[in-house]
Amino acid sequence: MWELIRANRRKSIALFIVMGLMLMVLGYLIGEAYWPRGGGVGGLAVALLVWGIWSLVGYFAGDSILLKSSGAKQVTPDVHPQLFNVVEEMKIASGLSHMPKVYIIDSPAPNAFAIGRTPEKCSIAVTAGLLAILNRDELQGVVAHETAHIHNRDIQFMTYAGIMLGTVVLISHMFLRSLWFSGGRSSRYRSRSGNRNSGQGQAIVMVVAIVFAILAPIMARLLYLAISRRREYLADASGARFTRYPEGLASALEKISGSKEDLKTANKVTAPMYIVNPLKGKGKKLANLSSTHPPITERIRILRSMAGGAGYADYQSAYEKVHGKKSSVLPQSALADKSAVPVLIPGQEEMAGAGQKSSRREFGDVVRAVNQYLFLFCAGCGLKIKVPPEFKKKQFPCPRCKTQIEVPLAEMATVGAVLESVDQGRQETQKDYDMVYRRKRSEWESFRCNCGKTIQLSPHFSGNYLDCSNCRRKIKIELPQI
Amino acid sequence: MDCVNCREPMIVLEVDQVEIDYCLECGGIWLDSGELGILLDDDDIVAEFLEKPVMTNHVRESERLCPECEKNLNELLVDPDNGIYIDRCADRHGLFFDRGELKQVIGLFRTETSKKVASLLKDIFRGDKID
Repeated sequence: MWELIRANRRKSIALFIVMGLMLMVLGYLIGEAYWPRGGGVGGLAVALLVWGIWSLVGYFAGDSILLKSSGAKQVTPDVHPQLFNVVEEMKIASGLSHMPKVYIIDSPAPNAFAIGRTPEKCSIAVTAGLLAILNRDELQGVVAHETAHIHNRDIQFMTYAGIMLGTVVLISHMFLRSLWFSGGRSSRYRSRSGNRNSGQGQAIVMVVAIVFAILAPIMARLLYLAISRRREYLADASGARFTRYPEGLASALEKISGSKEDLKTANKVTAPMYIVNPLKGKGKKLANLSSTHPPITERIRILRSMAGGAGYADYQSAYEKVHGKKSSVLPQSALADKSAVPVLIPGQEEMAGAGQKSSRREFGDVVRAVNQYLFLFCAGCGLKIKVPPEFKKKQFPCPRCKTQIEVPLAEMATVGAVLESVDQGRQETQKDYDMVYRRKRSEWESFRCNCGKTIQLSPHFSGNYLDCSNCRRKIKIELPQI
Repeated sequence: MDCVNCREPMIVLEVDQVEIDYCLECGGIWLDSGELGILLDDDDIVAEFLEKPVMTNHVRESERLCPECEKNLNELLVDPDNGIYIDRCADRHGLFFDRGELKQVIGLFRTETSKKVASLLKDIFRGDKID
């Protein structure tokens, strides 16, 4: 498998280097166009500096910026135990060393993406709409695809390629804008003061720079998308192998592409990260060349043609069957692995989201759980009541049977505190502990570990860390703020 | 979601897959367009509620805003004989009923749908004034 990752990476690195060269040529030409004597080197240096700074920001804060801009919220297993269960399964199936953090996006549009610096610090985000319409096998297919992106080291690579694309676009845009506003004055003055030949030479450089500044972002984008599309096929193949059930992913892709909901938080930068292009309405009619993803119908047909098995060779032969010609989509190293990977027979699980009502309700409940609502049942009549986090009453009468219902306000506050502190923990070093809990006061208090286990702290607890007795997670305990 | 009338946080009641935002303080009910669709199960009646032109000059003393888009709610005269107005979002986000109004509105329709809705409301508010 490592060989497969390396082979995939080699091809992508070639494209990545071409993008880098384009960035350097662009910087050089713009430098030369403005400052004819040695300005090219300066332009080159500025282009690399901008890329370097952006890369550093991307490395240290890229995932949290993108997760925040996508409206993703980190959740605990009690919000959606099945999702955690599936992520855990795929972590084991793919051999990842760490459990990815799980995020839910409050949107009815079904979609998912993975992000992170390394497999140790990575996250999987799914929308609430996805959880509402997929059954377990389909959800497993989607999570397996995202886990494959983490496993194949795609996420880090795509981040850098995306940053390089952003730099090319930014520099080109600034150059063309500056010409517009200056009206090309600087070059005109210089050509008057210098001799006629150098003036002509500089005019040529200027024209070349303008043409390149217009073409470079388009070419860089096409290269970026080529890298992205190739990796989607590989992630589909790896996902099918992890679950040994290609139909799960195929069926999920079909449902996702059938949705008419638009993902409002997605944009051109984040679109290639998602399992299915979230910008459905826009660019639908564009040629395949400019698409962020391979055609979804083709991905589904390939997965459904894998009748013989769920291995890489099976995916490759299904790809050839669908395309009707011999062309390789997976590296040769993967195809050398001839070991049989039998396809699983699916369980007779009831399809989730079979009814529109229950699907809608499930979506609503996931969104409420993400937003820290409390789900209560009246002890007298069984009425299901959802209480918002802003609710401050300790008790209220059931609207149906008037039985007094107690509101565990402390638990609501604790769930919020745990999530908040986990978020803060991520921004710190996150080396010695897996979770942070900030004490509210020096009295008895309880909180929930991310695994769902309730942990009680005595007023006399004076340590800085404790281990969860259920999942062995190391939890940092912070003192109350006075 | 805060109550349109008294601005207190509303709780959500769920019965038979239907959700109703309910204010414990004033007994107000907010039904968003999706819930209204599930509740009435009839696109024509839903459209009538959400799109019927407003023909009233009635002015409420206090301002009421849609909890979703925060635009002013329009008043819709549903029963001229008894002077029953309900509040409706101009962008079709939903309807707000003061205590008891929902029952009165449902009572205006003598159809199978209204019977179904009335029985659901009875189920939710067994001991309440709405019954």
